[in-house]
Amino acid sequence: MMDYAGRAAAADTYPKLLRLNAREHGADIALREKDLGLWRLFSWNDYQTRVRDFALGMVELGLGRGDVIGIIGDNRPDWVSAEIAAHAIGAMSLGLYRDVLDEEAAYLLSYGEAKLVFAEDEEQVDKLLALAERVPNLKHIVYSDPRGMRKYDDPRLMQADRLAALGRDGAAREPGLYDQLVDATGGEDVAILCTTSGTTAHPKLAMLAAGRVLRHCATYLAFDPKGPDDEYVSVLPLPWIMEQVYALGKSLLCRMKVNFVEQPDTMMNDFREIAPTFVLFAPRVWESIAADVRAGVMDSSPLKQSLYHVGMKAGLSALAHGKHSAVADLLLFRALRDRLGFTRLRSAATGGAALGPDTFKFFQAMGVPLRTLYGQTELLGAYTLHPFGKVDPDTTGVPMADNIEIRIDNPDVHGVGEIVVRHPNMFLGYYKSPEASAADIKDGWMHSGDAGYFNGNNQLVVIDRIKDLAETARGERFSPQYIENKLKFSPYIAETVVLGAGRDALAAMICIRFSIISKWAEKYRIAFTTYTDLASRPEVYALLRREVETVNATLPPAQRISRFLLLYKELDADDGELTRTRKVRRSVINEKYAGIIDAIYSGQHEIPIDTVIRFQDGTTQRIRTRLAVVDLSPDAPLAEAAE
Amino acid sequence: MAYTLELRGVSLRFGGVRALTEVSFGVNDGELFSIIGPNGAGKTSIVNCISGRYRPTEGQLFYRGRNITALNPNARPSLGIGRTFQNLALFHHMTVLDNIMVGRHHLLKNNFITGSLYWLTGARREELEHRRKVEEIIDFLDLQSVRKSTAGTLPYGLRKRVELARAMALEPQLILLDEPMAGMNFEEKEDMARYIVDLNEEFGMTVMMIEHDMGVVMDISHRVMVLDFGRKIAEGNPASVLADPHVKRAYLGEEDEVLVDPDDTPAPAESVA
Repeated sequence: MMDYAGRAAAADTYPKLLRLNAREHGADIALREKDLGLWRLFSWNDYQTRVRDFALGMVELGLGRGDVIGIIGDNRPDWVSAEIAAHAIGAMSLGLYRDVLDEEAAYLLSYGEAKLVFAEDEEQVDKLLALAERVPNLKHIVYSDPRGMRKYDDPRLMQADRLAALGRDGAAREPGLYDQLVDATGGEDVAILCTTSGTTAHPKLAMLAAGRVLRHCATYLAFDPKGPDDEYVSVLPLPWIMEQVYALGKSLLCRMKVNFVEQPDTMMNDFREIAPTFVLFAPRVWESIAADVRAGVMDSSPLKQSLYHVGMKAGLSALAHGKHSAVADLLLFRALRDRLGFTRLRSAATGGAALGPDTFKFFQAMGVPLRTLYGQTELLGAYTLHPFGKVDPDTTGVPMADNIEIRIDNPDVHGVGEIVVRHPNMFLGYYKSPEASAADIKDGWMHSGDAGYFNGNNQLVVIDRIKDLAETARGERFSPQYIENKLKFSPYIAETVVLGAGRDALAAMICIRFSIISKWAEKYRIAFTTYTDLASRPEVYALLRREVETVNATLPPAQRISRFLLLYKELDADDGELTRTRKVRRSVINEKYAGIIDAIYSGQHEIPIDTVIRFQDGTTQRIRTRLAVVDLSPDAPLAEAAE
Repeated sequence: MAYTLELRGVSLRFGGVRALTEVSFGVNDGELFSIIGPNGAGKTSIVNCISGRYRPTEGQLFYRGRNITALNPNARPSLGIGRTFQNLALFHHMTVLDNIMVGRHHLLKNNFITGSLYWLTGARREELEHRRKVEEIIDFLDLQSVRKSTAGTLPYGLRKRVELARAMALEPQLILLDEPMAGMNFEEKEDMARYIVDLNEEFGMTVMMIEHDMGVVMDISHRVMVLDFGRKIAEGNPASVLADPHVKRAYLGEEDEVLVDPDDTPAPAESVA
């Protein structure tokens, strides 16, 4: 095993560590990017050169210590290079999600007073130019892809290669300058402004010091070792703390190769070509992979279908006895792992929400070493993880090291309370917001706002946000998200919102999973046109009714869904209904669907809808339909909505 | 003024049917030129005359000053004329990549005999070079995710895009697009409009396009020609064509004064001519 902590001590900022890697392993592959159908290689030397050129180019533009440099676009070598270059000149990097809304981008860039933004292509440049005077500090926009840029003559625009050329000129004139700049960087300086996924109001910017990120990555690596032979495919959003940890912190520390896919659309194919050794997916991605496999099997020949069922059965029963079925592996799982790009996986993780027990078992049976992790941006991402051999789908594992202290504040009779954490490498506070920092950090302990408890095996169980625990009018406490997740374990349910706070009973608004239900409808010859139409079919209602009843059977009576309806559209982050990490924004939903919610509770069996959907390109579509409400309470008249 | 493409008094008759009657116009180098007109106005006939599928009954065609009226269709791509078809003409059982590679055919130096001596005759190097060009087009049209898919399995909008890719692979200086947006939804149309503008501006291709969607045509074209019953009734920049009374009559019927906004539904009964 490598001495990760020693390495983090030898070079305590990204540019220092990059320089060290380039010196010692200059010709080794650091990054790969798929371009024009081929994997292009970037050695540590290439990486170092690009970063140096960007850094000195920015110096030529008059940028330096204390400035904020924004970065927006798909995950690419230029993205990570720009971040390290920003750190090299003593500036702070601020990553923006590639599908960020205008207002949010304007807010973050003006709040951070970003002077330069690296924007990948025309799409992102368009977005920035549209902000106009809302971002008065923005002086430079650097783009990597020149396509479609001909029409602009905004003086702030500059091609990335042009910036790099400026930097090369600078390097030729002053050969020692870059090293001086890098030497001047400090491990305790604020290097990264990391947006926290704000479920309410504006996102906050957590200030992270590079030395701390690297030390925390060293802790993580000691718990889950990686090295230069490891392959990682970078598809999570780079502004997110976990991708920062994997694609930058860990990759610099242990030199695992980071691969960038050609396009978001080609992800699964490129993923398979690389066959990474580690992967982190959100639960919904694991769920959708499992759902795609099942949908694919439905479409395949009878022989393949029976192979799948035999293999799956053998694999699951072996797993239940703590064993691994060689027959199932030969029949099914080897081919499945290959198809999904999981052949070389040595470590796999999920986090952010619960993953369905069936899905968990599905992947475990397949031989995917799936584990759950848990953490927050403020605490530099994950800090608990399942130890190998002690995986329990209901928990999020144990702290990765002894210096990570977790305590449960104000526990109730069942030991459930707020999760409060302290470790030596946590964030330095929120940018320009000492009062927000003081509210969350008390005596050096970070208050996570999550409700949880330690189970009998001393593993942490996370239930929900404390403030999201809701109470019905009868005073029963419940976690809407917990029930939603149970519902979403059904392959037919894509998204759902459980209502009931301050009401007399629980109800659910459900979005069908179009990809699966459309196949199902085809199989049973149910004609439909659009999502809205499919979601209003009585057959689909009947199908979903069975799913809800199955979940209800596993819940205590007070927490059962008594009414539900199928929503006419999918919930969408672009409409503000979900966060960028696809968590439900309850306040927005409550406001936007207030009419529907009131109608559900007023006992109506049918709700007329006449609304307008706005698409991303600005066009609108009018939707007129009637939503049926299904009443599942025991005293309800029989199946009135199934007509 | 020397036009890149010029038609002089072109008429086309099928027996007693006059598809085109003395149509004359010119397309400038680097221009995005559109032809619009009601169904059966003769738009596709013009494209077929230019690409050589039909030979005009009367009149002449000039491409960069050369009379191409009688030139064989298969000789025209070498001059730098490429086209797409209104009804898709892809090879359905071939991959997207292979379909686009077909577009390179006339640029290949090796034939099936020299090509079989793969390494000796430079066929390998040649293939790599062509593959690179094809990959650039795939990148340009965002076809990466379907590169290896069978063309026949793709949705309609994507197949249209593959056809455009194949026409681009010819590296034409003049590209003829026959209803590139027919049957597309709004989003696909918007994407396609962007590709057409980009291939005109970034690749410097002269574009002659036939299209039904007036909105798109008026947004992106430099000049527009209007056909009605095989005759040219107007030509000019989009604004002047829109204002032309003949055009209004051809499109909207006699009584109408203004273009009806399609969003203003339900339309009053009398405006449906």
